[in-house]
Amino acid sequence: MEQRLANSLIMTVNEKKFIETALLSDLRVDGRRPFDYRKLSISFGREDGSSEVQLGNTRVMGFVTGQLVQPYRDRPNEGTLAIYTEFSPMADPSFEAGRPGESAIELGRIVDRGLRESRAVDTESLCVISGKSVWAIRIDLHIIDNGGNLVDASNVAALAALSTFRRPECTLGENGQEVIVHPPEAREPLPLIIHHLPVAVTFAFIGKENVVVIDPTHHEEAVMGGSMTATLNTNGDVCAIQKAGGEGVLQSVIMQCLRIASVKAGDITSKIKSAVESYNTERSLRKIKRHNPSPAGYKH
Amino acid sequence: MEAKPSSNLSSKFVDQVVVPGDVILDLSSMANQTIKLGGGLRQDGDSISVMKAGTLRFTKPNKYWVESSHKRYVPCAGDNVLGVVVDTKPENFLVDIRGPALAFLPVLAFEGGTRRNIPKFEVGTLLYVRVVNANTGMNPELSCMDASGKAAEYGVLKEGYMFESSTGLSRMLLSSPPYPVLEALGKKLSFEIAVGINGCFWVNASQSSTVILVGNAIQKSESLSMVQQKIYLEKLLKSIQ
Repeated sequence: MEQRLANSLIMTVNEKKFIETALLSDLRVDGRRPFDYRKLSISFGREDGSSEVQLGNTRVMGFVTGQLVQPYRDRPNEGTLAIYTEFSPMADPSFEAGRPGESAIELGRIVDRGLRESRAVDTESLCVISGKSVWAIRIDLHIIDNGGNLVDASNVAALAALSTFRRPECTLGENGQEVIVHPPEAREPLPLIIHHLPVAVTFAFIGKENVVVIDPTHHEEAVMGGSMTATLNTNGDVCAIQKAGGEGVLQSVIMQCLRIASVKAGDITSKIKSAVESYNTERSLRKIKRHNPSPAGYKH
Repeated sequence: MEAKPSSNLSSKFVDQVVVPGDVILDLSSMANQTIKLGGGLRQDGDSISVMKAGTLRFTKPNKYWVESSHKRYVPCAGDNVLGVVVDTKPENFLVDIRGPALAFLPVLAFEGGTRRNIPKFEVGTLLYVRVVNANTGMNPELSCMDASGKAAEYGVLKEGYMFESSTGLSRMLLSSPPYPVLEALGKKLSFEIAVGINGCFWVNASQSSTVILVGNAIQKSESLSMVQQKIYLEKLLKSIQ
């Protein structure tokens, strides 16, 4: 029995032609203009450090966990940061369970480079005993639904999860060699020190004239000639640029893309910050309910 | 519901939700009757049982089927679907109809088709075809002719754009009286539409903006109630004036 060709989205010639023709009049198939983002919604789970991001039809979940490990020999004072991506087969027919494929590894690398090279997460504060014991932060990104532009959604999921993650507080034992990890009930866990939020913005180049669109959907990704991801923060720093293959692009186009990206990065950063703030408020409200009112006359 | 002396069992279940395993008809109590079974039903010896969860429907004189709305399509004989050519073989075109398996379209299944005038379809051609038979475990077979051998409207769809929907929305688009969204859009805009029961529809118009408007309006209307649809359409049509 002939099975479906599960490895690629089967595009009709009509669709390719239509997307390119419509772009000549600045129209995209879902009604957006070339530089409009889809609706971004960020929500959090009950645990600290778990986020779910929905960008149009794309859904990504991020989980941050921490563990005490031995540091690398050449960096005895710093904690470590590691990113793992999992492309769930329910996200797309071409995703297979098991070892991550090329695009999964590339996505992990882009998010990793944006966080690590720009030193967004302060790793020195993760050191407990120099040379012996540091916190290893692990970020797991699960792609649940592929509606296009996984990079941006995964990046936001990673940033949102990092912003709400809290690690247990630990103190040194009597002899200065032992580490005592305090459970969250005993001592309030501490958030990570995050200096800035590097936001990834992806551009796709479609058609012979290399029309630029931002935040491509699944169908646009199937017809694009090349793509570029720029990771920037609101301080005006360009943290990373990724352009893996595809059509060549003029320098002036790249500069224009970076300018647009910095505007979008500002929008996305403020969305992440307000979502994290409301999560933190809700979290502290939850804690207040846990404590019993004091017997000595707690009146409303 | 009129009293049907020999289908007492079915009148209990028609227009009701059924789940796999329900027996809707007992053939031993009916003699010399032809029943046509549509999608979601299976004959198990003397009883007709349900394979797919959904609502049981019946049309006179004798057709039963189970209706449900999914994003994936289960091929069934007699359906009109949109397919994309994936490969060409000497005897068949391999066409993707968004079902579990690729479908075969025989190279001769066209009106006036002979070995001399086999159409040349490149990979990615969009076709409007009819499912001739779809047995489980086998690849479905398609045809570009209707039952009497005429081309009807089957064949290549040029230009335009294919939008995805669910099988339920496709059925609503094909129902008569016409779907209110289609009617309202048709009064103001001129466009061409081909609906495949396999969860996709194709729209073409002279301007790309019209195609995008119609396609997105239909997709969005699926989750809106009748009243909300009216409000949404009024706003939409006013904004394009």
